[in-house]
Amino acid sequence: MVESARLLDDREHRELDRKREMEQSYDAEKLAETMRQRYGNRRIAKQFGDSVIVPKRLLMPSVEDPSIWGVRCKEGKEREVVFSIMKRIEERRGTKDQLGITAAFERGGLESAMKGYVYVEAYRSNDVMLALDGMLNVYPRSKMVLVEIKEMPSLLHITKTETLHPGAYVRIRRPAKHAGDLAQVLDVTENGLEARVRFVPRIDYTVAEKQADGKRKRPGTYRPPQRLFNEAEARKRGSRQITGNPQTNVWQYNGEEFENGFQVKEIKIQNLQIKDVTPGLDEVTLFVTEGEDGTENLDLKALAASLRSSKSNVTYMSGDVIEVYEGEQKGVVGKAVNVQGDIVTLRVIEGELRGQTIDVPNKGLRKRFKTGDHVKVIGGSRYRDEVGMVVKIVEDRVTFLTDQTNTEVTVFSKDLREADDIGGQGSLGQYSLLDLVQLDATTVGCIVKVDHESFVVLDQNGDVRQVMPSQITNVIPKRKTAVATDRNGSEVRLDDVVREVGGQHRQGKIIHIYRSYVYLRSNSSNENAGVFVTRTSNVATVAAKGGRINAAAGPDLNAMNPSLMRNPKANGSMPPPKVFGRDKTIGQTVTIRKGGYKGLLGIVKDATDTHCRVELHTKSKIVNVPKTDLTFKDKVTGRVIDINSRGGFGGGRGGGSAGFGGRSGHGGSGGSGWDGSRTPSLPGGLAGSRTPAWGPPKSSGAYTPAWNRNPDTSGSRTPAWNSGSRTVNPYDGNRTAYGGATSYGGSTAYGGTGGSRDPAWSMGSKTPAPDSHGVGSRTPAPGNYGGSDAWGSGSKTPAYGASAPTPGASDAWGYNAGISGTSDAYGAPTPGAGLSAPTPAALNAPTPGSYPTAPTPAAISAPTPGGGWAGGWGGADSAPTPAAGAPTPGATGGYYGAPTPAAYGAPETPAAGPRYDDDD
Amino acid sequence: MFFLHNLERRVTLHPSYFGRNMIELVTTKLLKDVEGTCAGNYYIISIMDTFDISDGRILPGSGLAEFIVGYRAVIWRPFKGEVVDAITVSVNPHGFFAMAGPLQIFVSSNSMPDEIKYAPNATPPAFTNNADWTIEPGTHVRIKLIGTRTEVGRMFAVGNINGDYLGCLQDS
Repeated sequence: MVESARLLDDREHRELDRKREMEQSYDAEKLAETMRQRYGNRRIAKQFGDSVIVPKRLLMPSVEDPSIWGVRCKEGKEREVVFSIMKRIEERRGTKDQLGITAAFERGGLESAMKGYVYVEAYRSNDVMLALDGMLNVYPRSKMVLVEIKEMPSLLHITKTETLHPGAYVRIRRPAKHAGDLAQVLDVTENGLEARVRFVPRIDYTVAEKQADGKRKRPGTYRPPQRLFNEAEARKRGSRQITGNPQTNVWQYNGEEFENGFQVKEIKIQNLQIKDVTPGLDEVTLFVTEGEDGTENLDLKALAASLRSSKSNVTYMSGDVIEVYEGEQKGVVGKAVNVQGDIVTLRVIEGELRGQTIDVPNKGLRKRFKTGDHVKVIGGSRYRDEVGMVVKIVEDRVTFLTDQTNTEVTVFSKDLREADDIGGQGSLGQYSLLDLVQLDATTVGCIVKVDHESFVVLDQNGDVRQVMPSQITNVIPKRKTAVATDRNGSEVRLDDVVREVGGQHRQGKIIHIYRSYVYLRSNSSNENAGVFVTRTSNVATVAAKGGRINAAAGPDLNAMNPSLMRNPKANGSMPPPKVFGRDKTIGQTVTIRKGGYKGLLGIVKDATDTHCRVELHTKSKIVNVPKTDLTFKDKVTGRVIDINSRGGFGGGRGGGSAGFGGRSGHGGSGGSGWDGSRTPSLPGGLAGSRTPAWGPPKSSGAYTPAWNRNPDTSGSRTPAWNSGSRTVNPYDGNRTAYGGATSYGGSTAYGGTGGSRDPAWSMGSKTPAPDSHGVGSRTPAPGNYGGSDAWGSGSKTPAYGASAPTPGASDAWGYNAGISGTSDAYGAPTPGAGLSAPTPAALNAPTPGSYPTAPTPAAISAPTPGGGWAGGWGGADSAPTPAAGAPTPGATGGYYGAPTPAAYGAPETPAAGPRYDDDD
Repeated sequence: MFFLHNLERRVTLHPSYFGRNMIELVTTKLLKDVEGTCAGNYYIISIMDTFDISDGRILPGSGLAEFIVGYRAVIWRPFKGEVVDAITVSVNPHGFFAMAGPLQIFVSSNSMPDEIKYAPNATPPAFTNNADWTIEPGTHVRIKLIGTRTEVGRMFAVGNINGDYLGCLQDS
């Protein structure tokens, strides 16, 4: 028995071995063939297994697959219908009525284009009919739609349904009273159909009253504003409707439930708008609850959820560093190189794909930052435009430290972008951070925070308030020189570091000094941007011994070397020379250049150093105008004149007589009956008067003429006048010269001589005018020139040369000359000589000998010209004409120019020189 | 990090200082103007020497003379990632400020080891782990810079003490 079993076993083993041997002898292909034959028909399933990846196109439906029919149903009941179909399938399974359909589904939903249909998959439409027959809410007998094969896949396209999380923001669609209002989800019911939300109620407390009155409320139009529930008001209006618990602040009122002022209500999700909520900042702030520490506590997570769902406002710009956090490319980090619509082109900067460029859809992307990045908030957050440095990143929430206020702010990475600029909201309009601004007449404040449309201001009393730009009167400019004294009496200025003596012993740098308040800024606190305000009497400078640290280790090398300053007081420009006597502006005709009276003409009635009282021509009014705002005009011609240059002369002449020039001239002109404008020169007038005085009245005819204005020989007079007046007046010492002048008068005679009196006259008249004024470039000028010429020539020209010295001669000499001149003058031709002689003497008196001096005066003394003229005349008998011709303006000009200042004395001198010579 | 850097600067001098010691004055002025300032992203700590003072050029209009001065200076440029020692100056719930020489550094409470907590009731307020670490004003800390920011005439950095050998320097 045992043996037989052993044999059998043995045989079996051998059998197996032989079989294996045979199999091995087959070649592989045959083996494969047999295998296929043996197992080939036993395919478990025609479908591909789960584990196998199959190209999508092979999964697409074909004609062999069952068709899909769309069947109308009642809107909103799609899902119920599908459930009913399920139920029917269960019921009839295994019976002869078993349903022939293979699937049923719906794509309902508020936004869906396929709402109002259920879709049933079957091989024959009859199966669909049977399956749906007699079912509620579905209408198979109306037209059924056969879905085309190519549309089938899109029918099943998955759109991710929004899931509501507690804390998310939604908008209410219904009830209509709250339509559009923002609400916050508290929780969602188990079946996912309803959500419990809280929102700001719209209560009309009077409704209860009205109902109590038995009147029916007209439904409709009126929509109360959003306001938090107010228990007191509700009680007042109808205490019966209200029940609740004051401890938890939960109330029922008119069948509604209120918690902490918010209304809490269960609303069907279909009556809520979940997508694209984009809560506005103002709306969200309604839900902001005050934290225990008084800080606002915005539920960022909730906001995140709401905002994330609306991708619309996310914008990527090329250059942004972006991370893909969803989808096939999850984890890829790249730099955006191009953005087109929803497609962002990335250049991958990390990992295996580095360097490649890939396109990714914009959803599933987020911007990526690193700690230490400098970022700026863009987008809708209330921190918009803040700039700061990233300190922490959690998923897509980025915490950064703002540059402005050194506070930490958390925002979403989508609202950030890399910042190039610094500061950001440093200013709003003309106001910027740390400016001192006037809030009202008695209040100033320092801007410690700049928001989008408002400022936070720390006023002088230490109160922080929020103001709009429109509430700010103006900025108080920083005065670099502002000084205050601290409690120890030491001087403190801007930028000094001081410490509070009492209180918190805060220390800071002075940024503003306003009356007795100082605004300090310290780094040690970031409350109010580190700014605090205190009284000057409450601070002590931190510098040692209470004195200011003299920071300047040396002199300021950009400014004047102090050691070179001769007069330490007179830093800056030299004050204008003091002018004695009557103010020369008085009596001038002026126009006002600036201010309310701009353009008006007037006369100066009185003057101080800086201002004039101007009597206006237009209305009899005297106004006070700064001198700098006046333009001085010639009384008659209306030309602009420079009173200062004239005045300068006056001063030069010799102090007291300063005024002399202009005015006396006038007086003179009046007297003489000459043309006022020209005559002005008249200083001559005075001179004339004096001259005569000088000259023994009778001694020389010259005087007389000079004196007599009336004399027929107008020419004589004029010149006499002119020359005399000018020359003479200027120098006290020169009176003698005056004598000369008198001689001059002689020259007048000359005029007569010339027979060209008129010209002489005119010349005289004009010349003087010009001279004295320096303005006139007219004939007169020539006349003067003539004088100067004479002079010049006299001095230089040999012929004259002789004379030249003469003028230089002593007064006495001049005097004599004058006399002689006078006579000469009479003689007609030489009148000039007479004139000149005196003049020079007068002028030069001191330095007679020195030529240089002489010339100057010559140049100056336009008046002399008259004399000069005379001289000229003397030289050339033709006198008159030339005189008239005086034309030499050019020459004149030359002379004149130099002299102008000198105008005064000069003329004479020269004149004197030449004439004298002539005489000789 | 400290560097020895060759720099150039235009120095102006008032005409009243023209004279024999002009060069000396220019050097003085350079020192006064430049030493201890923040020039963009670095601080000029000290000027070693000047090596090239150009001839002065009179500026039209003002009469000041302008010299172009080349000088060598020790500068400090804080880098991202650099580790510096600093002294805490103020502490608030969000973190603390410390000064490393002229540079102000903020260390956020997020950038500290987890066990370090803000202790508002301590006087002065401090960050502490209730053991060997207490960061209060005056404490010496070693900080790793994670970012720097430059403003005109000022720099600012954000730091981190979350790492080996960073944080409180005991009994320094």
